[in-house]
Amino acid sequence: MNDGLIEVRDLTIRFPGRTGAVALSGIDLTLQPGSFTAVIGPSGCGKSTLLNAIAGFVAPSMGTITLDSITIDGPSPERGVVFQQYGLFPWFSAAGNIEFALKRFGYPKEQRRREAFAALEEVSLAAMAGRFPGQLSGGMKQRVAIARTLAGRPKVLLMDEPFGALDAQTRMNMHDLLLDIWERRKTTVLFITHDVDEALILADVVHVMSPGPGEIIASIDVTAPRPRATLRDADDFVRLRTQILDLLRTGAS
Amino acid sequence: MAVGLHRVLNVVVSLGAVLIVWTLISVFNLVNPALFPSPLETWNAALELMRTGLFLSDLAASLARAGIGFAIGAVLGVIVGLLTARVPAVQFVLGPFLTVLRPIPAIALVPIAIVWFGIGEPSKYFVIAYTVFLAVWLNTHHGMERVPWTFVLASRALGASRVREFIEVIMPAAAPYIVAGLRMGSALAFLSLVAAELSGASSGIGYRMQEARQYIRTDIMFVGLIELGILGALLDTGFVMLSRRVVHWEDHA
Repeated sequence: MNDGLIEVRDLTIRFPGRTGAVALSGIDLTLQPGSFTAVIGPSGCGKSTLLNAIAGFVAPSMGTITLDSITIDGPSPERGVVFQQYGLFPWFSAAGNIEFALKRFGYPKEQRRREAFAALEEVSLAAMAGRFPGQLSGGMKQRVAIARTLAGRPKVLLMDEPFGALDAQTRMNMHDLLLDIWERRKTTVLFITHDVDEALILADVVHVMSPGPGEIIASIDVTAPRPRATLRDADDFVRLRTQILDLLRTGAS
Repeated sequence: MAVGLHRVLNVVVSLGAVLIVWTLISVFNLVNPALFPSPLETWNAALELMRTGLFLSDLAASLARAGIGFAIGAVLGVIVGLLTARVPAVQFVLGPFLTVLRPIPAIALVPIAIVWFGIGEPSKYFVIAYTVFLAVWLNTHHGMERVPWTFVLASRALGASRVREFIEVIMPAAAPYIVAGLRMGSALAFLSLVAAELSGASSGIGYRMQEARQYIRTDIMFVGLIELGILGALLDTGFVMLSRRVVHWEDHA
């Protein structure tokens, strides 16, 4: 996978409508190719709006967003999105959902089948290929959703609180799975969350946002080697967690 | 299997109980027999209609009207529903007009239908199609408006064209509503069928009942009522079974 450099410059987004309230103000953010970035902030701080803007779902009111120096002007499979509510199509089977993403490559049907199966294998769900989303658990759904997004071969993976609806155990398994995939594919990842531990376990750098208007008030590098799940009680980890929680509480740097 | 058996038992017990009460009322002459025929008289009237061939010819005439009227109304309803939901200009022009049409009951259209189309078949098709159309249009429009936005965003972020988005995402997402509209339409087709046949017809279940009134043949009227009840129930059951297959994912969503 080549490149995958996202540059957000002086991004401001106003909500549509006459009031024009500011959702995001003066955001500068760089996602280095192959890096894992987390954005954390309280509800309503605009972190999802930031992700939606990079996905091309909402247009900037001011400022620019580029992928490998090309301005973003709409959704594209180059920037794959994983939604909190999965966004799987319930009328397609697990394999059918992945084939939906593969169709843009115009493969022959047989090859498309094979690739869909391989994509499910990557998330250890090959046995569920024929199941429909309604027959899968939350964790399985999100694995299918991740496999579907990856099937479109994105340079950037945008994840909007993808594990927010999962229980703690499933969440931990998903963290391992995601890091595994990320280390293999070297895709740039932007991960939105409101869970401090989740951000610290996953990311190279954690950006902390303040509420209304959303601004990035601190950027914290996490240098501890992965896997970090066992480091939860380590001194460095506790210090970073306290620092971020303080930032979230006071909403100022 | 156990559920199916339970349902059959439910139907048998319920209808059996009604039949017993009905028989008791007749046996003890609780009501004037001329006004309230016994089960045996009703059965004999049904046999008489079958012998003369009227039973089948009425049934065929009524089913053909309901079927053709339903088909016309359903096709138009889906098409106009798609248009009003997807094309703002069409909604702007037609929306308020259709809203004013909605409260007009089928039976109120019978006189004008006879003036326009005569007492032949077209006036029946018109009345039935009108009722079916409104139900199907309303549900289709509603279903299209309720397509979860996440599905649309997911589709676009996976690189689907607008055509694929419509066929593979929006249509299936709206399908449960469209099918519900068709089911409602099929029930309404029967209601308006009787309205259409009660005035200006020379065959059909509704006509036969109207004719029986002139000879005070309450037994024939009962045959017609029971026939309508059974037909409607069978049709609805068939529709439920069909929709389980068409929108199969709704069962386990």
